[in-house]
Amino acid sequence: MAQFALPNNSKIKKGDSYNVAKGDAKNKKMFKVYRWNPEKKDEDGKVKNPSIDEYTIDLDSCGPMVLDALIHIKNDVDSTLTFRRSCREGICGSCAMNIDGTNTLACLKPIDEVKGDVKITPLPHMPVVKDLVPDQNHAIAQYNSIEPWMKTDSPAPARERLQSAEDADQLNGHDGHGPAACILCFCCSTSCPSYWWNGDRFLGPATLMQAYRWISDTRDEATGERLDQVEDGFKLYRCHTIMNCTNTCPKGLNPAKSIAEIKKLLAVRK
Amino acid sequence: MSEQSNKVERPLSPHLQVYRPQMTSVMSILHRATGYALSIGTIMVVWLLIAAASGPEAYAVFAKFAGSNIGLFLLLGWTVALFYHMCNGIRHFFWDMGYLFELKKAFRAGYVVLAMTVILTVWVWYCACPWS
Repeated sequence: MAQFALPNNSKIKKGDSYNVAKGDAKNKKMFKVYRWNPEKKDEDGKVKNPSIDEYTIDLDSCGPMVLDALIHIKNDVDSTLTFRRSCREGICGSCAMNIDGTNTLACLKPIDEVKGDVKITPLPHMPVVKDLVPDQNHAIAQYNSIEPWMKTDSPAPARERLQSAEDADQLNGHDGHGPAACILCFCCSTSCPSYWWNGDRFLGPATLMQAYRWISDTRDEATGERLDQVEDGFKLYRCHTIMNCTNTCPKGLNPAKSIAEIKKLLAVRK
Repeated sequence: MSEQSNKVERPLSPHLQVYRPQMTSVMSILHRATGYALSIGTIMVVWLLIAAASGPEAYAVFAKFAGSNIGLFLLLGWTVALFYHMCNGIRHFFWDMGYLFELKKAFRAGYVVLAMTVILTVWVWYCACPWS
């Protein structure tokens, strides 16, 4: 049975408040950010619960995206704030987090899309390493389990294995939004209620879309083996076509569709 | 992972508590809820059949309950549940065939399901109006 409430050590307490916007600032905005530090302990030596810290900043002193605000806070307000970021242009997938109630990349989310205060929490239902950094070991181990590389039996040709443009479209999509465009930010998997309740065994949309990426690759010769591997009540069929995954993908990809294609292939194979 | 990090019991990041209800997830959980409601509703159907087979006295007891305010309220609820579950079930058939996955189409089909639920419920209650 799924546990809908947070465990006792995860319940969120009220945190600190910082106001760095000057009195005459025209463009104030409050950011409410999830904080947890494993080294912050109470008098009994017990690790403190997570909290929400509030930062009121002047938007005229930072860039337009939520990531710009986080970097501004880290640089100028509170250097202990911890989050992942790298490319700041939506291709590395590091800054995936829950902003204003849905999962997205902080670098692609304009601050002015958020009405009122900007609430930021880590990707949902994940163990927290620190602040906005979730522990993705399990999700990545699941990704490894589908063996995301080309598998062939036939001898390698003198040059690369070729594919027609139509076959390549299966992977890349006509519009560049096919499964191969996934950056593995795990926004989709952590938006999926089924993954929340059964993530220990259900592979989740991100990994299943990559499974389909290899299943549908005409150069790959392990299609049957790959289908066998995901044909499982939990690994694949905990997907109930909720579609939170497609709805939240910051890259505009369609994991729900990929999963449906796997189910179709399995139904046809019977 | 280093040994040291294993000593700390990591908190679980908030999920239901922070995730904004999405049309996708709300319609999905409603499908499940109406499914459960309908399976409970079959008890009422069984009661109807047994009462009808047992004779006029037994049927009168059933008819009295079904016609009471509570009975009518429950029947209205089951009508809504039946049509929602049926229409959304058809939406699921399309998904199973690989259609309606583009977000726009998925949402549009969702609105059609909600509209049809209302239309069919009103239609059934208009046809079987207990006050006419």
